[in-house]
Amino acid sequence: MFFMSAVDEDSKLDRKKAAHVLRRSLAMLRPYRRQVLAATALVTLWTFTVLAGPFLVSYAIDNGIVHKDGGTLDRAVAAYVVVAIVAYFVYRAQIVLIGLIGEGFLRDLRLRVFDHLQRLSMPFYDREKAGVIVSRMTSDVDALAELVQQGLLMFVSNTLLLVFSVVVLGLVSWELLLTCMLMLPLVIVSSIKFQRDSNRAYLLVRDRIGHTLSSLQEGLSGVRVIQAYAREDVQVRRFLRTSGDLYDAHMDSVRISAWYLPIIELSSALTTAAAVGVGGWLVHRGSVTIGTVTFFLLTLSNLFEPVQQLSQLFNTVQSAGAGLNKLYELLDTDPDVPEKKGAVELPAEGAISVDRVSFRYADSGPWVLRDVSLGIAVGERLALVGPTGAGKSTLAKLIARMYDPNEGMVRFGDVDVRDATLKSLRRRICVVPQEGFLFNGTIRDNVRIAKAGATDAEVDDALRAVGVYERFSLLPQGLDTAVRERGSRLSAGEKQLVSLARAALADPAVLVLDEATSSLDPGTELLVEEALERLMRGRTVVVIAHRLSTAERADRIGVVDAGGLIELGTHQELLDRDGRYAALYATWAGRMEVAS
Amino acid sequence: MGRVIRPQWVTVLVGVLVGLGWTVAKVAIPLLVRGAIDHGIEPNDSKALYTWAIAIAIIGLFQGTFTGLRRWWAFKVARRSEQTLRDQLFAHLQRLHFAYHDQASTGNLMSRANTDLNQIQAFLVMIPLTMSNAVTVLLVTAILLTIDPVLTLLALGSLPLLNVFAKRFGVRLHPAVMGIQQESAELAAVVEESVSGVRVVKGFGAEGVQQHRFQSEADDVYDESMRATRVRAVFLPLLDMLPNIGLILVLAYGGHQVINGSLTLGSLVAFNVYVVMLIWPLRMLGMILAQAQRAVASSQRVDEVLAAEPQVIDPPNATSLPEPTSERPAGALQFDAVTFGYPAGPDRPVLDGLELTVQAGESVALVGPTGCGKTTVARLIPRFYDVDGGCITLDGVDVRDVPLRELRRAVGIVFEDTFLFNDSVAANIAFAEPDAAPEQIERAARLAGAHDFILNLPDGYGTEIGERGFSLSGGQRQRIAIARAILSDPRVLILDDATSSVDPTKEHEIRDALTEVMKGRTTIVIAHRPATIALADRVVLLDEGRIVDQGTHSQLLVQSERYRDVLAAAMAEHPEDELESEEVSV
Repeated sequence: MFFMSAVDEDSKLDRKKAAHVLRRSLAMLRPYRRQVLAATALVTLWTFTVLAGPFLVSYAIDNGIVHKDGGTLDRAVAAYVVVAIVAYFVYRAQIVLIGLIGEGFLRDLRLRVFDHLQRLSMPFYDREKAGVIVSRMTSDVDALAELVQQGLLMFVSNTLLLVFSVVVLGLVSWELLLTCMLMLPLVIVSSIKFQRDSNRAYLLVRDRIGHTLSSLQEGLSGVRVIQAYAREDVQVRRFLRTSGDLYDAHMDSVRISAWYLPIIELSSALTTAAAVGVGGWLVHRGSVTIGTVTFFLLTLSNLFEPVQQLSQLFNTVQSAGAGLNKLYELLDTDPDVPEKKGAVELPAEGAISVDRVSFRYADSGPWVLRDVSLGIAVGERLALVGPTGAGKSTLAKLIARMYDPNEGMVRFGDVDVRDATLKSLRRRICVVPQEGFLFNGTIRDNVRIAKAGATDAEVDDALRAVGVYERFSLLPQGLDTAVRERGSRLSAGEKQLVSLARAALADPAVLVLDEATSSLDPGTELLVEEALERLMRGRTVVVIAHRLSTAERADRIGVVDAGGLIELGTHQELLDRDGRYAALYATWAGRMEVAS
Repeated sequence: MGRVIRPQWVTVLVGVLVGLGWTVAKVAIPLLVRGAIDHGIEPNDSKALYTWAIAIAIIGLFQGTFTGLRRWWAFKVARRSEQTLRDQLFAHLQRLHFAYHDQASTGNLMSRANTDLNQIQAFLVMIPLTMSNAVTVLLVTAILLTIDPVLTLLALGSLPLLNVFAKRFGVRLHPAVMGIQQESAELAAVVEESVSGVRVVKGFGAEGVQQHRFQSEADDVYDESMRATRVRAVFLPLLDMLPNIGLILVLAYGGHQVINGSLTLGSLVAFNVYVVMLIWPLRMLGMILAQAQRAVASSQRVDEVLAAEPQVIDPPNATSLPEPTSERPAGALQFDAVTFGYPAGPDRPVLDGLELTVQAGESVALVGPTGCGKTTVARLIPRFYDVDGGCITLDGVDVRDVPLRELRRAVGIVFEDTFLFNDSVAANIAFAEPDAAPEQIERAARLAGAHDFILNLPDGYGTEIGERGFSLSGGQRQRIAIARAILSDPRVLILDDATSSVDPTKEHEIRDALTEVMKGRTTIVIAHRPATIALADRVVLLDEGRIVDQGTHSQLLVQSERYRDVLAAAMAEHPEDELESEEVSV
């Protein structure tokens, strides 16, 4: 109806985008085409049953009651009974069917989007804020779910009801229909205005709710500071203002509906008056029957209610459309680190060579690494040190192909990592991030992340391999302890241990380690170091070192600064050279002296 | 709830009256239609017909006006009550003591101020409409009874079931809807952790594992949604069919009555219209029962918070702190046999008979292993908690006798976990003195070593920080918090690990500034970096809530092995002080 006509604000979809969204959604509905056809048939049938009731009443009046023909009256009653029963089953079936289609569509969409998110590479996650990505899967999909669960059926059936009512009423008496439609333009115009105003008012309300909640949140999390500075009164006064603004916004939206509803009810009453007045006049002239007038009176609500409901649904439809558009855009984003066609398996082992690599995160951004070359032999342990932001983490991530270099290449064995299958690449080279991130689930589940389908025995072996099996099995629920629930939070050190056990389970040839900078409790500190030592044995290791003690134990040390590898050699060589590393080492040793 | 509504009784009354006006107009229209049919159309009396039609139009005008007013007044009460409750809740929470906030979770309090208040609001807004609906039902029943009692029974007999089923529908649907919300939250949690843990997922190539977990969550959401769909499929068609039973019976029985001549055709049509008119009022009466139950539960949860008494309050006979004089400078602190344990903490008291005297203008560093009570000492001074035994005096006055506001303005504290407000940098620094002059703010920022980086922010001192604004590093936040404390110019300044996130290379700048601030001001410093500790005139070594040793930093370094151990352990806990020393803050 007026689906396209009201779409003109920037935030909403334009005609072209709306058509695109519609086309893609239809394509996604293709697997459900049988159900869609059946549902359409059911909704149509149901609409007829809604109209059939009043029609049978008018038929009974004209042909039974007025002619004092009891038999006809009884036949009409019997028909009405049948209609009521059919309506019951048809309505029931269409709710289930539309639920199946809508919820199925939502599930497909969720899976597809998540699958795509998993495929996207690190640069995407650097660019986009985590909150925004999550909101694609939550608020955008929820806007759709709202439509599917409540709106879709209403939207379709109201549209059909309106169309059929007009057609049927027109067939019965076009004069009376025109009379009844006199008020319709006013209803439509005010419905459109209402839809726009209420949309705007609702946006304001939502915004003010956000303000109120964040100011509430701030008052609660900052209550200690507020009390420390004896500022309770000021904060309360500020909150009252925010809260008052929300009230005003709410009342604004009420004001909009408070003028809209009277127009609708007034129009409905005026139309009733017109139907009675004009209808009566037509009866007197003999051009319509009294049953027809009754039919109109009983069906009038079919003209007004759909317009009213459609205008309210319109906002839901629009936000669902906008949500879908964002989701489709996300699905259209290509992975930055794609797998080449005909990619090869990486060999089981191989030396790593970084060959004249330059890299920057954004095309116009500053160079993070410039012309870096480096070779790492099989089984060698290389530590990268340097100030934050110098590029040492980036260098490590390029080796694992979390990013592709802008210039130069990284090779594993003789294979350019860009030519390798992503699967084999991730199996050969594992990156253990500095924070021991835990997922919901048990300790075992968390270790198993590293190798889908690993048996409990394999997981246990991995935990033993890093020497922490004992520690975790002593927990009340042992290795089945849920790690993110209240009360069983693991310490930073224990999280690290889980992370290291993951690496042991993955059993890669090359380990890229980002050493923890956060403080560990003294109790686990030693365990973590032992676990690391066991894990590194027999593997090629690149470790981003934050402690000089770690660097000291590596075979070679690379000092990264300002995007370049400025020193490379063994601990002793670099100390002898008396350069940057020697200076760092001296500061560190000095500080230890102050402390003890 | 009643407490909030009572002051608004005029508004409530107007709402109810307007609602009744609307009801009467609405109920009158079918009667007028009946009149038009029986006295206008059937007897072929055009003049009567037009009179009836005009009457319908006029009553329609009333109905329209009243419906708008009814809505307006209903929402006015409901929204005003919601607002009042929320304001009361906020003001009350602001005054509740620390120990209350220690045991309450922010999320839980937020949900009371949000979800629970919404439930109450949703109930209140329905009250005037519910009254109108109840009156509609009564009026219609009365009118129909006067026309034909038997037909009334047939027409309305099935309708009470509408009420019953609508209520049951609400009761059955609610858990399913909650289930959808629950499952959606779990699904969102998987998305959230896959996104924030993307480094782990990519690092181990664990995409498949997450995909699998997501799939099972998506299936759960689907199952719950279909459960809700099935509930709808059971009840909606039923609710739709019940009025049809009435309509069919009216036609079957009433039709024959008309043929017999014992009922007019207009009455038959009126019966039809009335049955349709009662559908929504009856359904809504069922719904409001379910809503009322939820609103009662919600208002109990809200009352629970409002009923909690603030435990740290102004003394009845307050004594002001003495004005400082040249022979008696301000800021002398005395802990006299202080015993204290946290309400929710272990049985063993955190402080056990602590004796500590701090001269006015003296700076004291509290050092000790984690859990020795040094932070607690700091928090007892501004009465964040009250001592269990003994007493603390500031300039000779028991802190419990000083007006709370005066005491807290006299004590400036910088917490380890810095909290800044969503406001400009300047407003955050001037938190204690919103009217402070820009020069004052700048001076405080300079002293805290924050001036330089503030100037480099997009809008300098006007830069909005926090949730929707610019995000600062931990060290920058701490420096702003220090500036905030400096600006309040307190008698006693407490720095609770206030420089722990400040870059070690920057700390020496602050160190100079702190020396300046601490000059002549009583200062309690809690720190782990030896260089910061060394700033204090005196170091007090605490263990298990008692003082085990004291002296200057260098004295203790020489004479106390325990002191050396504590410092070494603290250094080991903070490895970030080692290699990142070149860190350049943005």
